Amino acid sequence: MTDLGSRQQLEMAIEAEAAALEAEGLDIEARSMRRQTWDRFRKHPVAVVSLFLLLALTTAFWVGPWLSPYTYDQVLAGLPNEGPSLSHPFGTDQIGRDLMVRVFTGGQISMTIAIVVALLTTFIGTVIGAVAGFFGGWVDNVLSALTNLFLIVPGLLVLLVVAIKWGGGVYSTAVILALLAWPVIARVVRGLFIQFKEQEFVQAAIAAGAKPGRIMFRHIIPNTFGPIIVNATLAVGAAIVIESTLSFLGLGVRPPTPSLGNIIQDYRGAIDSDPTKVLLPGLFVVLITLCANFLGDALRDALDPTSRRGH
Amino acid sequence: MLAYTVRRLFSSVVLLFIGTAVVFGLTSISSNPELLLATCPPTRCGAEFRSEMIQMYQLDKTIPERYVSWLGDAVQGDLGTAVRDGRRPVTEVLGERLPKTLLLAIPAFVLTALIAVALGVYSAVRQYSVGDNALTAFSFIGISMPTFFFGLLLQVFWGVWWQEWTGTRPFYVTGYHNADFMDLVSSLTLPVATLMLVSVAGESRFGRASMLEVINSEYIRTARAKGLPERKVIFHHALRNALIPLVTIWALDFALLLSGSVITETVFAWPGIGSYFLRSITNYDLDPVMAIMVFTAAITIMFNLIADVMYGVLDPRVRYD
Repeated sequence: MTDLGSRQQLEMAIEAEAAALEAEGLDIEARSMRRQTWDRFRKHPVAVVSLFLLLALTTAFWVGPWLSPYTYDQVLAGLPNEGPSLSHPFGTDQIGRDLMVRVFTGGQISMTIAIVVALLTTFIGTVIGAVAGFFGGWVDNVLSALTNLFLIVPGLLVLLVVAIKWGGGVYSTAVILALLAWPVIARVVRGLFIQFKEQEFVQAAIAAGAKPGRIMFRHIIPNTFGPIIVNATLAVGAAIVIESTLSFLGLGVRPPTPSLGNIIQDYRGAIDSDPTKVLLPGLFVVLITLCANFLGDALRDALDPTSRRGH
Repeated sequence: MLAYTVRRLFSSVVLLFIGTAVVFGLTSISSNPELLLATCPPTRCGAEFRSEMIQMYQLDKTIPERYVSWLGDAVQGDLGTAVRDGRRPVTEVLGERLPKTLLLAIPAFVLTALIAVALGVYSAVRQYSVGDNALTAFSFIGISMPTFFFGLLLQVFWGVWWQEWTGTRPFYVTGYHNADFMDLVSSLTLPVATLMLVSVAGESRFGRASMLEVINSEYIRTARAKGLPERKVIFHHALRNALIPLVTIWALDFALLLSGSVITETVFAWPGIGSYFLRSITNYDLDPVMAIMVFTAAITIMFNLIADVMYGVLDPRVRYD
């Protein structure tokens, strides 16, 4: 089953995983669990291809501009609006910059933002979700108040308002996206902590006199890795989409620094005469997001020991 | 039921006040008109203009003071002045632009719901068939495609490629045209399709999951066991129950369509509140920004409330007390 974004299914997967962990007891070797997961993951050919493609694209984004004889902001005199050729595989843009180098550097920047967003949201979300789920109290109250607030305040509009003042750079854009996105992961982690802290192995640890920090980090956190990794992977895809949108609207990464979104905006005036070049950077956005989503979905399946798929 | 509704209404109003306060604070800091004055040369923005701006935006007062005065006006129906739009009242500008946004949002909402339910039922009934797998692939692509890019893709397809192949342009690729009804439909088609993409992909997945859950339940087995025709089992017994969880999704999606109109309207140069929002932000025009945010938040709250109440009406197992 590949229901993307279905909260119910994620919850089911989490429950099943918890139940399976409980049933298997503690004597299972970490390695064999990992191998089981890998075996299940391998049975999703689309996800294996996605993983390979993501790695290939990432390598291309970082190595490509370094190998290229041009730089992303280098204007090649007398060569505006060139079609694809051997020396310029994607052609040149309206002021004569090599489009391939621009798209690859843009990909590098969009990818950097997406990875920073995924790491930051995962870190903030996990810490706050863990504290809220484990201790309850005011952190939990603040978290649920924030969640309610996020439900009513239109997120995209707030993002635009915040981005006009604090956005513009690569890292500032990443931080803004992360600050608005962490409650999603915090809620997932909170739910997991509430569920785990009632289970026998945690009760046993408490009875044995373990301190809260040890229980959280040694006993509960390792059990939450699966859903956290799944969410982080999906966050990469979501961040690529929202960053390109923001940059397209002119509130994300500002030119001359290229990002997949602002290259499209840059070249949009040529949509009638040269549409393929306008669409090209967008295809990379779709490709990266699609791969991240397929990967996240397969990981969700692979990390769920009761998964029935993958015959 | 009535007590529940009243209590929810009350807490919604409280939430709306907190939400507007937060949003007002953020907007006042980020879209501060002082930033505009700072970059404006004294030759163009003289002392008179400056003092007028300071008075108009109450820049000599603190943000909490400004919020209280804004709130006082807002509850009386005065949403401020669109300074960069001929200094007209915001309510007047929104009155012109909101119908055009709804012209996109309402057809998109209704069509999405119909298509998503149809696809969801098909996928659930034919689980793991070629059609179901194709729809799964489609929804993955739909969710992975940025809205603005899908809009550009439609513009290129119908505005450039289709014209090259056939020499005709069946749809307007930008702008709002209303010479006659067909003209309007033609200018609506592409932006509505763009708005629908993400929500069709999401809702059909949700509909499939909900339908699958119902199909595997005991009372459906009972209905089949007593010999009801399959059509009746699916549409009479299963679908009705599977629709209940979708009510919540519909409520959330309508609000998302409104804020999502920022992207679609910008791509298609559609004169609604979405494109106006973006323009107001980049112009540091504070009052319209606030008004659109509050309007969207109020709609979100209202639809959530309606969904929750509807949920109780539709599903007698849910009890509010």
